[in-house]
Amino acid sequence: MIKVTHVTKTYDDGKVRVEALRGINVEIKNGEFTAIVGPSGSGKTTLLNIIGGLDTPTEGNVIIGETNIAQLSENQLIDFRLNHIGFVFQSYNLIPVLTAKENVEFLMLLQNKSEAERDERTTKLLKAVGLEDQINKKPNEMSGGQQQRVAVARALASKPDFILADEPTANLDSASTANLLDIMYRLNQEENMTFVFSTHDQRVIDRAKRVITVEDGKILSDIYT
Amino acid sequence: MSFWDKQPYITFVPFVMLFKLAWRNIFRNKRRSIITVSSIIFAVIFAVFMRSLQYGAYGNMLKNIVSSYLGYIQVHKQGFWTEKTLDNSFSPEDITYLLDHENIGYLSYRIEGFALASKDDNSKPVALLGLDVQQEKNRLGLDKKVVQGEYFTNRKTGILVGIGLRDIMSLRLGDSIIFLSQGYQGSMASGSYPIIGFIDLKTPELNKRTVIMDLAQAQEFFAMPNMVTTAVLGLKNDNWEETQQEVIARVDTNQLEVLNWNEMLPELQQLIAVDKAGGLFVLFILYSIITFSLFGTVLMLTEERSFEYGVLIAVGMAKNKVIIVAILETILMAITGIIAGLAFAFPVVLYFNIYPINLSGQMQEVVEKYGFEALIPTSLDPSIALSHAGIIFFIVLVVNMYTIVKIKRLEPIKAMRR
Repeated sequence: MIKVTHVTKTYDDGKVRVEALRGINVEIKNGEFTAIVGPSGSGKTTLLNIIGGLDTPTEGNVIIGETNIAQLSENQLIDFRLNHIGFVFQSYNLIPVLTAKENVEFLMLLQNKSEAERDERTTKLLKAVGLEDQINKKPNEMSGGQQQRVAVARALASKPDFILADEPTANLDSASTANLLDIMYRLNQEENMTFVFSTHDQRVIDRAKRVITVEDGKILSDIYT
Repeated sequence: MSFWDKQPYITFVPFVMLFKLAWRNIFRNKRRSIITVSSIIFAVIFAVFMRSLQYGAYGNMLKNIVSSYLGYIQVHKQGFWTEKTLDNSFSPEDITYLLDHENIGYLSYRIEGFALASKDDNSKPVALLGLDVQQEKNRLGLDKKVVQGEYFTNRKTGILVGIGLRDIMSLRLGDSIIFLSQGYQGSMASGSYPIIGFIDLKTPELNKRTVIMDLAQAQEFFAMPNMVTTAVLGLKNDNWEETQQEVIARVDTNQLEVLNWNEMLPELQQLIAVDKAGGLFVLFILYSIITFSLFGTVLMLTEERSFEYGVLIAVGMAKNKVIIVAILETILMAITGIIAGLAFAFPVVLYFNIYPINLSGQMQEVVEKYGFEALIPTSLDPSIALSHAGIIFFIVLVVNMYTIVKIKRLEPIKAMRR
């Protein structure tokens, strides 16, 4: 469970003060398929970054499971992200010099998983995202949709508690978007994996079970569909 | 459980992956990697060759000194080196016990005096050297330097004359030269000696003023029986510094002075020191250029990869591991450049060791004036190559400090903003 309480985020460079988040309170339960939506500058990406421990709140707490990540040191946060959070980025952000298989395997290596476990999980994940025949291709040899599917497999590789996806379909065509959403939806249904998206892609919003609308740093609505 | 327990600094399997990442990253921008490796190769070749040439020249000088007239260490009557008079002489018996020293193979005695040489209407001041002709033949190979006539092979009478003096005084084999000088303790020294050969001492200055005779003959001429001005210590190995100190400890330094080649030729030491400093200055400039070149590479690499580093840290890679990947990349390039540089430098250095550079013109004159061969061979001392490889490796480590600081301060959110 992710519990965000009274979270504010203010950016102040001495000249301009921007209140990106203004007292956000939200709970996301295990197994949810949630979309955080809102116009550009609404604060949805900031909220996602704070939930993912990539940014720290100015005030408030973010509790994941039993850990208040707002109180973790930088190194503890990195370790927490490795073991508890999976990330899918808008522009895939795969490691360009590694193959699809190596990209998926990478986080498990950092977790010191055995070779047998790595092989088994990598094969399983790449099969789950439909790329079992692309394992030795490098990112520049794959389409955007294929890269994003590898990114999803990588995010799942470390067996995280949930996956944060920041505009995952922004760079994909319709067919790739539909395919990716199918995969993530299936993983959510079959493995009870929690997904949290920030998006303004209607196709993603239509598939979400819960839609949280953020505007001007506040939650405008929170609807279960 | 601490952070380090959970995500160890380094284990073998991740290291293989980190190495793989670093290695493959090198080929992402081949042109830049080639430029970087090439600059290291150039630096290694230039530094190793230049230093080998310098140290080879010093080594050759030293070899010349050892095999030349001077030797490593000489013993004189106290004050002889500053005031070269025959009165500053001593008896060989005073130091024969030095032969007990483990590094002293023999003692070669000399009388070094001056005389006025006359033949017909010509007269010329000359350095009249009385040598143990058999000992010096073995040590200096004097017999091989005789270009006309013969060495003191079956005789100890007569004189050898420098070829320069021969030309100035129009001398021929068999001619007799009359010498006039002041002998030991103010006595009058005079005598006539036949020329048995002409000798080329390889140095124009020495050739113009040197006359060599047997030590016994010189002792008789200068009226100083059983006395010498100089004893050259024949060392069994090159450890002259330690031997000198041990000899100083054994002799009566109130009566005798024990000088090494540095002390006898301080100007040579200064020449070497100045030359070394000049070489270091050139190397400093070279290494400065290489440092900035490498820093440029590291700077570009780090800036270019900031986004990627941000992603790696975001997904859970410890900053220390990201640093290892970044540093490994430049270290691998440096090692490649160093090995290739050494591989290219070695045959060049070897070639000039076998076929030394022949000096000509003014340089030749200057070098020969000091009694040295006008040749510069390169040194094959492996410590030269290793030290410069080490310096370049150290520079790589230093410039990587930028990467370390940059990654340590990196915030993934900011780094991932394109």
